[in-house]
Amino acid sequence: MIRTFEDLDRLAPDKGPKKFIVLAPEDEEFMLAVKHSWQRGYIEPVLIGSREKIERLAGHVEFDIAPFEKIFESDRQGIANLGISMLFSGDVDMAGKGQIPTAFIYRSIIREESKVRKGTMVSVISLWDIAGLGHLTSLTDTGVNINPDFESKTEILKNAVFLFHLLGYPKPRISVLSGQREIGGTLESYRDFTRLRETAQKGDLGSCEVIEATSFTEIFLPGRKVFSRFSEIDIGKTDFPEIILMPNLSTGNILVKLDFVIPRVRRRSLVMTSRGPVIIPSRSDFHDAITGEIALGVVTADRVRKA
Amino acid sequence: MLRNFQDIREAARKEGKKRIVLTPSGPEGGPEALYDAVREGWVTPVFIGERSAADKTLREKGFSAHDFEIISEQDPRKCVMLALDMVRGKKADIVMQGTMENQLFLDLVLDREKGLMQGRVASFVSIFDPPTLDRLTMITDAYINNNPSITEKIAITENAIKLARVLGIGSPKIAALSAIEQVNPAIPSTMDAAILSKMAERKQFGDVIIEGPLDIDCAVSGKAAVRKGVQSSVTGQVDIYLVPNVEAGYLTAQISVFIAGMPMAGVLMGTSHPVIIHVPITSGENKLVEIALAVLLSGR
Repeated sequence: MIRTFEDLDRLAPDKGPKKFIVLAPEDEEFMLAVKHSWQRGYIEPVLIGSREKIERLAGHVEFDIAPFEKIFESDRQGIANLGISMLFSGDVDMAGKGQIPTAFIYRSIIREESKVRKGTMVSVISLWDIAGLGHLTSLTDTGVNINPDFESKTEILKNAVFLFHLLGYPKPRISVLSGQREIGGTLESYRDFTRLRETAQKGDLGSCEVIEATSFTEIFLPGRKVFSRFSEIDIGKTDFPEIILMPNLSTGNILVKLDFVIPRVRRRSLVMTSRGPVIIPSRSDFHDAITGEIALGVVTADRVRKA
Repeated sequence: MLRNFQDIREAARKEGKKRIVLTPSGPEGGPEALYDAVREGWVTPVFIGERSAADKTLREKGFSAHDFEIISEQDPRKCVMLALDMVRGKKADIVMQGTMENQLFLDLVLDREKGLMQGRVASFVSIFDPPTLDRLTMITDAYINNNPSITEKIAITENAIKLARVLGIGSPKIAALSAIEQVNPAIPSTMDAAILSKMAERKQFGDVIIEGPLDIDCAVSGKAAVRKGVQSSVTGQVDIYLVPNVEAGYLTAQISVFIAGMPMAGVLMGTSHPVIIHVPITSGENKLVEIALAVLLSGR
């Protein structure tokens, strides 16, 4: 079982180098991450994007890209389409988003998924490594579906359960998050919780368990409505789930990036397609974070192939 | 400018003593923080509820039942109505929720005829004292409104600005949050954020700066904002985070408390007099800060 990001970083050189198509590495931080990942043995990059920008940025970060395959293409949707089709055809093991609108990549994934008739819904899974927790957790969907309904949430959970099985968690626990509280009536997200719990119990989400808690308050203070002091709070003693389903995109996007203000939390995000991972760094991420996401992609790509 | 919870407590100490009504007072006599506030000399309590229970509790806390006013009333709803009458009649300054469930208590308090509703919209501001910052930060609306319309968001903004002024923040910097930092008609909260931003630019909120839409990374980190091409004096310097809906607000507040370990105190805004409600994410130790905030808001 992979419990920390350090586990991923240790495994990635053994599982690499994976063929990694980089969609528009036209940003210094991203190019630096590709360089470091190659130096560590994670990847063999295939670079696709603007020739002028790729060569200039590689020069800036002193990265000799002569040995690598390069595809020069300036049309953004064209880059996404080609890169993702190479992932689905098996020419590469994984893909990663550089300076290209995320929506273009999602569109390409949906197109390729429909071709292979998998119909996998596109959703972003953001892993969190929280100091003191003892296992990985995740927030999903943090990037695609604006207001997912029950059916969409079912698919989003299937993607996350699949990823956690790959990471070695045979029966991940799921919290269907809701802003349900003592006032304001019953929220749609809370209704979805009830239905998703039944769906999980029937086995329709794969091996997993939807837990009772639908909020962090319930995770940290089960059965209680008050707490006296912060010293009572210990994440290691909670029944903290592996998968936390977001009620909507606004909430997901805000919560997932709170790692910017919570030093004990680190984040790595990806999209799991039926043919392999696509890493989706935020445009505000720096090279260390992107390198970490590439390590995650390498390990999951390896396990997808074996699965 | 009040920069942390200690500053808030110090400021409360300098205010004149306020009368606070605990209603319904219930068998436990309210939170320990109420008695701490009494000992600090910030408030004089009035208890509305079962007299024998209030007598017993006061003795247990080391006070004499004769020291404070106890109004005997068995019916919880009448307890609250009596408290509301007292503050409207200037016989008390602050209402504190006792043993009544939140929905019923808020229904009574926010009633436009018999309650204390003053503004267009009531909203809840979670105030944080982050250990790594030298200032307070706020998130709103973190409890009351499920999916506020733009009209409601305007009122929520005004409520938060009012609180910021009480805290001495002269020109609050406000981030109108959404999932992305670009205006996108498919995501209505980006449009609302852009409207609020434009209204602020035209000084419709007075001396404030609102930037929006912003995603959270741009809001909290000036460096991240620059990476995304967002230039603003708000990024990395936010006083108030306006969230698109209550799920984002309440859950962000929960993560901030339970995972980030940030002390939080909450304030109900939009009422004519301060009302302290029970929200489970305020720790017992920070309930005292909520009382201090109510003292500061009283009469303003």
